[in-house]
Amino acid sequence: MTEDLMKERIAQLVDYIMKKCLWQFHSRAWDRERQNAGILTKTMQILCEEPVENQTPADRCYWVDAVCLADGFRQKYPWLDSMDKAEIKILMQGLKDRIDFLTITGSLNEELTVPLY
Amino acid sequence: MPYHLFKCSECIPERKKHAVIKGHGETLADALPLGYLNTIPGTISERGCAYCGAKHVIGTPMKDVIHMSHGPVGCTYDTWQTKRYISDNDNFQLKYTYATDMKEKHIVFGAEKLLKQNIIEAFRAFPNIKRMTIYQTCASALIGDDINAVAQEVMEEMPGVDIFVCNSPGFGGPSQSGGHHKINIAWIKQKVGTVEPKITSDYVINYVGEYNIQGDQEVMLDYFKRMGIQVLSSFTGNGSYDDLRAMHRAHLNVLECARSAEYICNELRVKYGTPRLDIDGFGFEPLAASLRKVGLFFGIEDRAQAIIAEETARWKPELDWYKERLKGKKVCLWPGGSKLWHWAHAIHEEMGVEVVSVYTKFGHQGDMEKGISRCEEGALAIDDPNELEGLEAMEMLKPDIIFTGKRPGEVAKKIRVPYLNAHAYHNGPWKGFEGWVRFARDIYNAIYSPLHQLSYLDISKDEIPTDKGFLTQRMLSDANLSEEIVSSSNLREYTGKYDIISDLRGKTYPDFPAPKQLSAV
Repeated sequence: MTEDLMKERIAQLVDYIMKKCLWQFHSRAWDRERQNAGILTKTMQILCEEPVENQTPADRCYWVDAVCLADGFRQKYPWLDSMDKAEIKILMQGLKDRIDFLTITGSLNEELTVPLY
Repeated sequence: MPYHLFKCSECIPERKKHAVIKGHGETLADALPLGYLNTIPGTISERGCAYCGAKHVIGTPMKDVIHMSHGPVGCTYDTWQTKRYISDNDNFQLKYTYATDMKEKHIVFGAEKLLKQNIIEAFRAFPNIKRMTIYQTCASALIGDDINAVAQEVMEEMPGVDIFVCNSPGFGGPSQSGGHHKINIAWIKQKVGTVEPKITSDYVINYVGEYNIQGDQEVMLDYFKRMGIQVLSSFTGNGSYDDLRAMHRAHLNVLECARSAEYICNELRVKYGTPRLDIDGFGFEPLAASLRKVGLFFGIEDRAQAIIAEETARWKPELDWYKERLKGKKVCLWPGGSKLWHWAHAIHEEMGVEVVSVYTKFGHQGDMEKGISRCEEGALAIDDPNELEGLEAMEMLKPDIIFTGKRPGEVAKKIRVPYLNAHAYHNGPWKGFEGWVRFARDIYNAIYSPLHQLSYLDISKDEIPTDKGFLTQRMLSDANLSEEIVSSSNLREYTGKYDIISDLRGKTYPDFPAPKQLSAV
């Protein structure tokens, strides 16, 4: 897959998350890091048919968002079915990097570093 | 995403960083309005104070409580019978308003005696109510009355009563949002963990950030009960004081308005390990996803799916009737905090309207991140607008309708833009599947009101047509629709009842027996 195509597909997934999800916008940077890693890792595992940890309450909470996200991606973007697991992993890593940038490292939200809630 | 300086605010250049236009190919990392800052001197803000945020938004929806303001009686303005957070105990919290009525002499000599006298009088006047919240105001904060000490004294003298003290004076933050924060933190510090609840289900949640506007909470409770979920507490709409003291025993915090109540969910997660699940109760797709997530969490997804299928089949044809007639209409979505992101995408997708602007009176930058993300390109996003900026934005964007509070709403009417009350609703509830159709109906009624059409004519200069007579909404809304849509047998107008809440209060729910445990052999 070309780099441009990968970028275009990541942009589509970013748009889906931004329009339909709320979990990426918790109020502090450390929260967002935890949310993005927890949910997007589990989404990747679901899409790649790998086992997913969902036994603790926290894991289970990430898992429910991941299940819905994976279903939404599959439903809206049929091109996912044509990708193999290695490509999906690259795609999802690119997605996580982009979401991390938009919500954490590149975010202009000045409250992200406030020490208390 | 360029910042936008309104012409009317050129004399207040600091305002420039409070508004942006969402541009093509630009992201949140390019520009984001400032937020949750002190209002700039010279701009006439539409915000409320931190006392208002604590008491009028979050505290007072608690239904079985005497809500006492320790301050001048004027601080209770806008409470008595004006709010629409109803309750199933005959609206006790709306029917009575209490203030200690501080006057100048109390500022000089102190008001603790006055407070104690008021507390005792109020408990005696309502002997069946044993719970009270006392709200500090600017006046009682500035003179340093020790409200906690007085409350403790009364609790010792009157066994059986319990008092919560909320120290959130009006000046305690840039806006009402400061009060939301203070009361969240005060509640978890003072009260959570002081009551042990009766657990009746394997699936137990707190429903947080939901204020039962015109019955929203009761609609959502109905879904949860149909799924066999015990809602231990509602923070705070239609919520009970003692139920909220038991929040620590829930398995999951289901969070609706993160702006006003994420703090308590975050603290519950840190202190008790209870996870936080953010949901959207507005819109068919977001609500369906939300119910599904709660179902998935407890392993009862099938129960959620059954409700989603039943409700969608019942109400979707009615939503689509309105969607056909609202397509392309321009909306300024100008609520207080959370509804800009709850609604921005859902009304575009499911009602076909174009959100040309979002604003927030008291939101933080996080709310703008969510709201801007959910808008389409070209939308104007404004933080803490003033009245002149609102007028300039409406002149620039020419919306067909705005969703906002009653004060800016009346301003919009003056320039003949219809408005719906985003805080208290018109004919709510608007949450839930049926509620979403009621919202669409209210939008339709506002945009196609024949009265509004007449208001566009200025009898001092416009020619008044004499060849046109009687008009109805349908004549206006269906004028450019295809015959196929107008005569569709699949689509229909709203067919629900005027009052959809009363029936829910008497409803019985199925028992879901716990799955049999295999005994050890």
